[in-house]
Amino acid sequence: MTAIEINKKLIENFGDDIIKTVKAYENELYLEIKPDRIRELSGYINHEMGYPLVSMFANDETSLIGKYAVYYAFADRVSGILLILKIGIEPEQMTFESIAGKVHAAARYEREIKDLFGLNPVGHPNAKRLVFHGNWPRETFPLRKAYDLKHRPDFAKEKINFSKVISAGVFEIPVGPVHAGIIEPGHFRFSVAGEPIINLEAQLYFVHKGIEKLCEGESLEKCLFVAERISGDESFTNAYAYCQAIEKIAGLKIPERAEYIRVVFAELERLTSHLGDLGGICTDVAYGFAASQFKMMRGWAYGIADELCGMRFLRGVNRLGGVRKDFVAGKEASLIRQLKKIRSEFEETEVIIKANSFFIDRVENTGILSAQIAADLNAVGPPARAAGIRSDVRKSFPNRVYRQLSFAIPEHHNGDVNCRMNVKIEECYQAIDLMLAAIDSMPAGRIRESITTVAPYQFAFGMTEAPRGENIHWVMTGENNTIFRYKIRTPSFCNWPALCHAVKGNLVPDFPLINKSFNLSYAGNDL
Amino acid sequence: MFNTIKKIIKYPNLTQNYPRKALLSLPKTGKTVIDMKKCTGCGECLGRCPSQAIVRDAQTKVLGINLDTCVFCTLCEEICPSGAIAMTNQFELAEEKRTALRSSTLVIAEDQEIVMPYEAICAELVKRIRKTFGRSLNIREVDAGSCNGCDYEINAMNNPFNDVERLGMHFVASPRHADMLLVTGTATRNMQLALIKTYNATPDPKLVVAVGACACSGGIFRDSYATSNGIDNIVPVDVYIPGCPPRPQAIIYGILKAIEKL
Ligand code: SF4
Repeated sequence: MTAIEINKKLIENFGDDIIKTVKAYENELYLEIKPDRIRELSGYINHEMGYPLVSMFANDETSLIGKYAVYYAFADRVSGILLILKIGIEPEQMTFESIAGKVHAAARYEREIKDLFGLNPVGHPNAKRLVFHGNWPRETFPLRKAYDLKHRPDFAKEKINFSKVISAGVFEIPVGPVHAGIIEPGHFRFSVAGEPIINLEAQLYFVHKGIEKLCEGESLEKCLFVAERISGDESFTNAYAYCQAIEKIAGLKIPERAEYIRVVFAELERLTSHLGDLGGICTDVAYGFAASQFKMMRGWAYGIADELCGMRFLRGVNRLGGVRKDFVAGKEASLIRQLKKIRSEFEETEVIIKANSFFIDRVENTGILSAQIAADLNAVGPPARAAGIRSDVRKSFPNRVYRQLSFAIPEHHNGDVNCRMNVKIEECYQAIDLMLAAIDSMPAGRIRESITTVAPYQFAFGMTEAPRGENIHWVMTGENNTIFRYKIRTPSFCNWPALCHAVKGNLVPDFPLINKSFNLSYAGNDL
Repeated sequence: MFNTIKKIIKYPNLTQNYPRKALLSLPKTGKTVIDMKKCTGCGECLGRCPSQAIVRDAQTKVLGINLDTCVFCTLCEEICPSGAIAMTNQFELAEEKRTALRSSTLVIAEDQEIVMPYEAICAELVKRIRKTFGRSLNIREVDAGSCNGCDYEINAMNNPFNDVERLGMHFVASPRHADMLLVTGTATRNMQLALIKTYNATPDPKLVVAVGACACSGGIFRDSYATSNGIDNIVPVDVYIPGCPPRPQAIIYGILKAIEKL
């Protein structure tokens, strides 16, 4: 369907409820609707039209329209269109209708909005705190414009209640936030009877830094560097999504060569990340040899990054309007040689690990994420593809370069650790092939356009397929080339609840393995 | 099995001999320096530095860089109109005193200063560490609110290229087994209690090393409602390792500095 057809269909069914329609850019359609009709409309879009809820956020627009606003972004992944519903909320009211009962993926977004803005989702099945722990005082909402970024309120002392499983022989295992390995902090509360896990509740947001607030009022240039630091191993893709949003607002088409260079880096990041995950999976089943093979290849991938841009984490590559330097020119031959070396080593290693029945026995049928749950929660990236959901931003919202390069989305259905591993294995080959193809067909030419001024109070989405999956950033500009609101939705936000479902019924000692096969970012979730 | 053995023979040893031998290829993004002969003091970099690491001395009006805050983004090198700023390949930057990394003086509000028995002040400490730890060091890593960049670099210390166990360094699962805490991140509000508990759970004598701009000063996330400006607001720090993130060898250098084996 085109944006016009979508609009027509909605007007036919809900004509009276739609206050205003704005078509922004090629693929964003904004509909402002009556707040009390949100549940019906979102239910219709999600269930009848089949568009998943991909992002949802609030915005303090009291200085602009005298109201708070909540945005609901749904994606038509077949024709690459974002359909965004918007409702306004009067400051005297501060409540909105929860849609979580109808659209399950909304549950965590609504809790987030409640914590950060103090807007109450009425009818939410379990609106407990999400972002803030017991130390944050009630009635303090940092994302309202009136809140001073630097204000650090006194520590409150409230207890956090976890969901309880009560029965004879059921006990709880608390783990974290400081874990045994070198990983990020989070608290896991397992309810178990014997070995199998009955329920897992993940308390996250230990690394919440207030990134969205930090960006407000800051220059567009500075926020690019903040975007690079949302999640270390996804530095490039986050900066990429941010740049896309700003470039869309500025009406700028970046030079083709710059687009190609970005694709090379995006795929390099995916390769590095997946190699790390594969190594991690092997480590967690104590398969030392294979782990060290993958770590070695990852080391080589870091070496490529170092050679191209001097930064192992691909920071300082993107720039608004293109890339900072022509990082690829003159290095093609060495790049191709190194990629081919990784590819052949990878092939040989894959043969070895797949022939190891002890290893396959550990990963097969472990940590199954069902297709239904994956769809309900809008799981994204490799975990979703492993469960049979064939979504990939590079296919549904492709840029010029991905449209030209050929690649296929891996097809798996079992949703277990093995499938996630296989998706990642296939995507490693794919990443290498895409890089080789991009180097091959890269046109010569400019690598950036300059952006001088950007109009205030304009907004747009930037989307990328991060190594972990669909990554969506929404930016609204402010006066004098600053940010008014920056909503970051990384793939980890969607996949954390999916992980909690996937571990059910599995043994506690398999948790690290299942966790590693998802490899979610805490920083990307907590912001 | 045959294939596995073949691989093991193919790559017998990948480990770099750092710090005994200098790195073969040096990184391009090390310490940032301002060439005072070229600098006109125009202040372009001052306003655009994303982490406000560039400062002007109130009296002399000369520009300087606070390395504990620098995120090594290389923007200043790119935008300086007189080409006075350059990235060097110097990456061994760890210091025991945060002031040694700064060109402006450090202001810690008095109520934030920690009053607790701080054994690092004792001159005896060095002797005791040598005696207690011998030549091996057990490390517990604590992520106190990083972006995970620093943690991945700490992870990379265990990869075949760096293999820090050869230096007698070993990562342990519990702070109770640790001699040193390697802390990354800005000590976010939600991690402060966990950081203090971990610190207290680590037996004395212990060392604390702050890894990365965030842990040193709050880095790019300074002054937010949910962060603190450096972990030294929460726990005492023995060595600061700047970088965003510092590369594995820079972390090794910092740790070695902490135990004074260098
Ligand atoms: S110093 Fe840089 S790399 Fe390290 S945690 Fe902070 S932002 Fe991430």
